[in-house]
Amino acid sequence: MRSISRRELLGLGLGAGAAAVLAGCATPGTTSVNAQPVVPAARSGEKVTLTYWAWLKDLQKVADVWNARHPDVQVEVAWIPGGNAGGYQKLYSALAAGGGPDLAQVEMRTVPEFMLVNGLVDLTRYGVEEHAEKFDQTLWSQVSFAGGVYGIPQDSGPTGMYYRPDLFEQVGAEVPTTWAEWAEVAPAFRDAGIMIDAFPLSDTSVFTAHAMQAGATWLRTAEDGWEIDMASEVTLDVARFFDKAIDDGVVSTSLNPYSPGWFAAAADDKIASLVGASWGDALLAGVSGAEGKWRVAPAPRWDHGYGSSFIGGSTSAVLANSKHPQEAMEFAVWLNTDPEGIDAMIEHSGIGWSPARDYIGQARQQPSEFFGGQRYNTEVFQPATQEQNPDWQWWPITQQTFNILADGFRTKATGGTLVDAVVAAEQRTIEVFRNKGLTIRKAEG
Amino acid sequence: MATSTTTRPAAATTAGDRRPRRRSTAVTRAPWILVAPFLALFVLTFVLPILVAIGQSFTTVTREGLFGEEGVTSSFAWFENYRLALEDGNFVASIGRMLLFGVVQVPVMIIAATVLALLLESASARWPGLFRAAYFLPYGIPGVLATILWSFLYVPGLSPIIDVTSMLFGFEPDFLGAGTVLWSIANIVTWTYAGYNMLIIVAQLKAIPPELYESARVDGAGPWRTAWSIQLPLIRPALVLTTVFSIIGTLQLFAEPQLLQTVSPAIDSQYTPNLSAYTTAFAYNDYNVAAAQSVLIALVAFALSFLFLRLTNRSSR
Repeated sequence: MRSISRRELLGLGLGAGAAAVLAGCATPGTTSVNAQPVVPAARSGEKVTLTYWAWLKDLQKVADVWNARHPDVQVEVAWIPGGNAGGYQKLYSALAAGGGPDLAQVEMRTVPEFMLVNGLVDLTRYGVEEHAEKFDQTLWSQVSFAGGVYGIPQDSGPTGMYYRPDLFEQVGAEVPTTWAEWAEVAPAFRDAGIMIDAFPLSDTSVFTAHAMQAGATWLRTAEDGWEIDMASEVTLDVARFFDKAIDDGVVSTSLNPYSPGWFAAAADDKIASLVGASWGDALLAGVSGAEGKWRVAPAPRWDHGYGSSFIGGSTSAVLANSKHPQEAMEFAVWLNTDPEGIDAMIEHSGIGWSPARDYIGQARQQPSEFFGGQRYNTEVFQPATQEQNPDWQWWPITQQTFNILADGFRTKATGGTLVDAVVAAEQRTIEVFRNKGLTIRKAEG
Repeated sequence: MATSTTTRPAAATTAGDRRPRRRSTAVTRAPWILVAPFLALFVLTFVLPILVAIGQSFTTVTREGLFGEEGVTSSFAWFENYRLALEDGNFVASIGRMLLFGVVQVPVMIIAATVLALLLESASARWPGLFRAAYFLPYGIPGVLATILWSFLYVPGLSPIIDVTSMLFGFEPDFLGAGTVLWSIANIVTWTYAGYNMLIIVAQLKAIPPELYESARVDGAGPWRTAWSIQLPLIRPALVLTTVFSIIGTLQLFAEPQLLQTVSPAIDSQYTPNLSAYTTAFAYNDYNVAAAQSVLIALVAFALSFLFLRLTNRSSR
């Protein structure tokens, strides 16, 4: 018997490798879980353990409240980094490898991206409609696509305006209720060496929220595919408004809100206001010496559109490889609508605005010491949830559109304009849709 | 007993007969058995992923419906993904950016490392052990922590450097602006790796036989002349090695820009080639184009290293 030569072994290895490659070559996420049969609920008495990957802190303590009540369905929480900072990357790789947790925290705007890789379970197949009315309708519509529901809203952030009454007094300005008034008072702050607000060029979710509030709907689903209307007059007006604000030097573009530099400037009394989401309250508390100095007012309005918009927000989504989608969904509904779940999430995890329709959380009904005794949640943010753009929808490449837009916005430093960036981003978004084999057309009008 | 005595000669003869052959198969088999654990891991974690990536880079996925719910098909795409990768201005710009970075940062770092090594190995050096450890210390700090440390020295309002310059000169340097942040990253990389490269060069300096120094001294060479005519030519291999490593490292820059993103709006999601491939794969879920980008990055790194080795080989002839 002849021994195998090195070359033959190498050939054998390469051959086996090539065969494995051919077998493994299928691009991940190309088979749909929602075309497969519904997974039946566990029999009574059967022990079920659910895993939930989320970046909320101490979520296990909240899950333990559930675990104590439901000995048969135990939830284990594992922490992942927030969203695109690494959490999604982990989830996508786990899904691509055919595994992953039963539940995952997925942002509203990222739900369609997970749908594109067939990563989410359509919960209407497990009877989620009976819970629909427990949720804020705007947020419910943001997780509903083509007749399906792909996530249970978990938290969000209606916008309002945080401001410093002392600085407004110092420059002799009234708190603006419209963006026109905002533009009128802004130069007085600039002349006093203060910024009325910051405009983040690299985090376009803020610009998106402004456009959403003005009444724009960038993408919508139609019978025959996607319809894009990003560079509509409504959005371009918003872009022009902030082009002028940046050119006039009334907003800072180098200090992204909640970045270390912004905190330093805010502590130094150089930031007069911040139009931001309700979850900004916890972050503002991180400004040193800020206690009692800030108040909250409704966001300024455009002369059309809505009173507020949602920034951020996430869902508890049931992932495609879950063995127990029914139980996972029931836990997610409990977590996000049961007063016990909401209060525990506010206490332990510091969630944003609860998406439950009838309950904002015990702690949020109290006057706030930080905001000088103001009951800002019931005064400002609760009404703001009723003044939302109901037509807004996220799309399967939201993050990419945001990045494209941010790349365009960055050219503002070297002579570009936000208006041009929006127009170019619409064009580029259409191209990316087509490269992915999705149908898209420019909205007529 | 009897059976054993009768069989022993037979066994001995057959054994004596077979021994050379058995040894030869054992000899040919032994290295394979010894190398098998390595080979298995090597194939599993290195060769296979590369083959899969190359396969992916030639595949394209098309979808029907709003989210692909009406069907998804994979097909062979020829060079379509490579076309998309190269048409992406940001990806090409990121390679260009790294070339600019490398042309400036690599020579600065190698020169700094060489100077430090020569100083430490010079006859008049005091406490070379202490300084060697001190210069090498930054390499022991993980890149992520180094970047966080430096970011506090870069951010206006927190940075003592900016405080001092504005107090003394009324001038606030912008370390994180569109034109400067690349060099702020270069500073972090140089700070981290100069000491490491220095150590490689020191190792080679120590290998120079003392007789060479003695004869140089006898010939009347001073420290400058010794460095220029003896030490530098003899540490050439170390210099070539560290430069090639640095070229490859430059193209693989990832952690520093990824972390500085949070404080510098000028760094976009495709600032470096690796960041670009990472974003394409895991933020855009476009594994196929990301695979094409990765293959292109590998090709550029290979081409540059090869070119550099060719150039240094030619000039030494």
